[in-house]
Amino acid sequence: MRNPWAQTGNYRTSYAQDTTIFFNYREILSVGLLLVALCLLPLFLERSQVLVLNFILIYAIAVLGLNITTGYAGLISVGQAAFMGVGAYTVALSAPSLPFWLTIPLGGLVAALAGFLVGIPSLRVKHLYLALATLAFQEIFVWVVGRSPALAQGSAIPVEMRNFLGLEITFRNHNYFWYYVILFVLVVLVVAWRNLLRGKYGRALIAVRDNDRAADAMGMDPGRTKLFAFALGAFYGGVAGGLLAYMQRAVVVEEFTLVRSVALLAMAIVGGLGTVVGSILGPAFIEFLRLGVERLSEWMKANPFIQSITPAGVDVASALLPLSFGLVIVLFLMFEPRGLYNWWRLVRSYFRNWPFRY
Amino acid sequence: MKRAMTLALAVTIGLLGLVLAQGRTVTLLWSGAITGPTSDVGGPYAAGIEDYCRYANEQRLIPNVTLNCIVRDDQYQNPNTQRILEEALDRSKPAIYLGYSTGAMLQLKPLIQEVKLPTIPASAHIGLIDPPNNQYFFLPVSSYSEQVVALMEYINRSEKNARIALVVNPSPFGRAVVDHARRAAQRLGQTIVDVREVGGGNLDNTALLRALDAAGAQYIIHQNVAGPVANILKDAKRLGLDRKIKQMGAVYTGGSDLIRLAGDAAEGYLWASSYYTLDENTPGIALQRQLATRYNRSADILNSTNYTAGMLAAAIAIEAMKRAAQRFSGRIDNDTVYQSIIGMNGPNAFKPGFAVSTKAGIEIDFTRSEQTGAEGLRVLEVRGGKFVPITDPFTSALFRQVRNP
Repeated sequence: MRNPWAQTGNYRTSYAQDTTIFFNYREILSVGLLLVALCLLPLFLERSQVLVLNFILIYAIAVLGLNITTGYAGLISVGQAAFMGVGAYTVALSAPSLPFWLTIPLGGLVAALAGFLVGIPSLRVKHLYLALATLAFQEIFVWVVGRSPALAQGSAIPVEMRNFLGLEITFRNHNYFWYYVILFVLVVLVVAWRNLLRGKYGRALIAVRDNDRAADAMGMDPGRTKLFAFALGAFYGGVAGGLLAYMQRAVVVEEFTLVRSVALLAMAIVGGLGTVVGSILGPAFIEFLRLGVERLSEWMKANPFIQSITPAGVDVASALLPLSFGLVIVLFLMFEPRGLYNWWRLVRSYFRNWPFRY
Repeated sequence: MKRAMTLALAVTIGLLGLVLAQGRTVTLLWSGAITGPTSDVGGPYAAGIEDYCRYANEQRLIPNVTLNCIVRDDQYQNPNTQRILEEALDRSKPAIYLGYSTGAMLQLKPLIQEVKLPTIPASAHIGLIDPPNNQYFFLPVSSYSEQVVALMEYINRSEKNARIALVVNPSPFGRAVVDHARRAAQRLGQTIVDVREVGGGNLDNTALLRALDAAGAQYIIHQNVAGPVANILKDAKRLGLDRKIKQMGAVYTGGSDLIRLAGDAAEGYLWASSYYTLDENTPGIALQRQLATRYNRSADILNSTNYTAGMLAAAIAIEAMKRAAQRFSGRIDNDTVYQSIIGMNGPNAFKPGFAVSTKAGIEIDFTRSEQTGAEGLRVLEVRGGKFVPITDPFTSALFRQVRNP
């Protein structure tokens, strides 16, 4: 065995080595350094900047779930926001009587149950037809919440947590506290994701995605695998929704509409379907793009020259944001369908082999 | 050496004079939908706030204070609203916040309560001024629920035991009025025959109108934005139901947008509004015309009631800041502005001339427990392509009874 710290390629010689969570020591070290950096990052940021990070991490958890259902199992879902909503409302209803470390997993479990039920049509239908079934669930969720007095008919239900182990959670430390909670949950769920995919259940997901009849012939149960994929993806969504509820201090149904589902799907595509790194890069890219274009739009509005060259009655600056969002998705689909993950892969492989070209 | 010292002293005095002349900067924050859903309301509303702020700075409405009016587009997305508010709290510590959408405002209630930031939202959802976490919210005009109950009282003047259908937006914004309307109907002897939810994209409303007609609806009360209402009005005209069913709605259903979208079909539509129309000669409307011309606003913006609404919100905020400076030795912050707002009553009520006054002659007033500014409203009707007032200003007698039964 060569020195594991100096590996520049794939030297795995056994099945056990091939199924490790981390491929080599360098990867463990880099992940460790990344985690330390992420833990220290809030020290250098304003409170409101930490809020942006929190949203990115929450969306990353939801996109991870979507990547299990859509990226790995190949089951198109446009209902991930509804699963987030199920988790969020579960948290909102249980938060007055349970601590947050119970309400959030509970939100995930209730969402998983919803995912299991929504997945039942996947036993009979595929592709666009399945997407329509998930779309129906998304719309039914919003409809049901809107007509449920117990859920304030979609109006706000406060979700407040003022104290944790003697630490008072106030406006000043709210975002920092939740940053570390969300980061912890994300790390746990990423490790669980990697752990799942190296085992037989993960391989079953891929096999069913690639050819469910062949998977069936090889002894896997495609129906059970699909339901499992839906339930697990929804669990991740539910956990993300629960965290969002605490982050925003209240739950309103507007957060969990089709628009959010489509945005999550866009984040998954931009990041790279079926990858952990893509699940984090996608939300980060979309959120930073939003911030960047917002700044550009504000600058354009304040710039007299730009205003003088735009036709009267045409608000180019305001139109910039929706335009850029759509354009980015189209460009990624056309020129980089593997998403940002592919760029990450290329950069990583360059440095892995460095200073050698091959 | 002596010359250098004299020069330094002169420069110091000059700089000090410049600083004193410029005064302090105080921040006012607004975030709302300049783009995205409901931007037809948010765009003119934002323009109203921007223009009134520019005017306030030019006229030095608050002596020795420069207003830093931050107007930002949240694209009708709650996470953006939260981020913009928290960013402002970190960086510019606004003395007052002018909010926008119902969902975001309801969601931000706990945060606003915690940071004790006086907030004047564009949304008139009653839940914003209902407990809990309602202390710092102030509605510039009467709530949607009050407007709808006032319309029901208006119906009751001419027709007893009327049969009414409610058509509301499929959101907390729309649903806010339903419970209050049901309670009011019970007290007035009216019947709510149906409650339907209709959002944007309602291109054919034949089934809706036929169903409401079959249910015996004589009146439809809308709580929505202008687009869906305009489509329903056009379909009612096409089906000949415009003569059979009278339609009316709360503040965001009407205005120039409705007339532009519905055309002839808008004729006869009734609208509950606290705002003066552009045809009226009041100090507020005159200022609106003047500022729209000065700042090159389009005719669409000038004609929009939402432009008036934005100006009224900004006017209340800036007046509260001005009074805070007078009352608290120049200190303008969230605390003093809050004290000024709740002191804006009785002889200290505010009369900018954007909204109608109550019978007592009060246009805008607030107390610690009465968090609605303009409590007077009128019913206006579309006649000859214009909204014309058909009642004197009145305040709903019934609403306070049905609000907390």
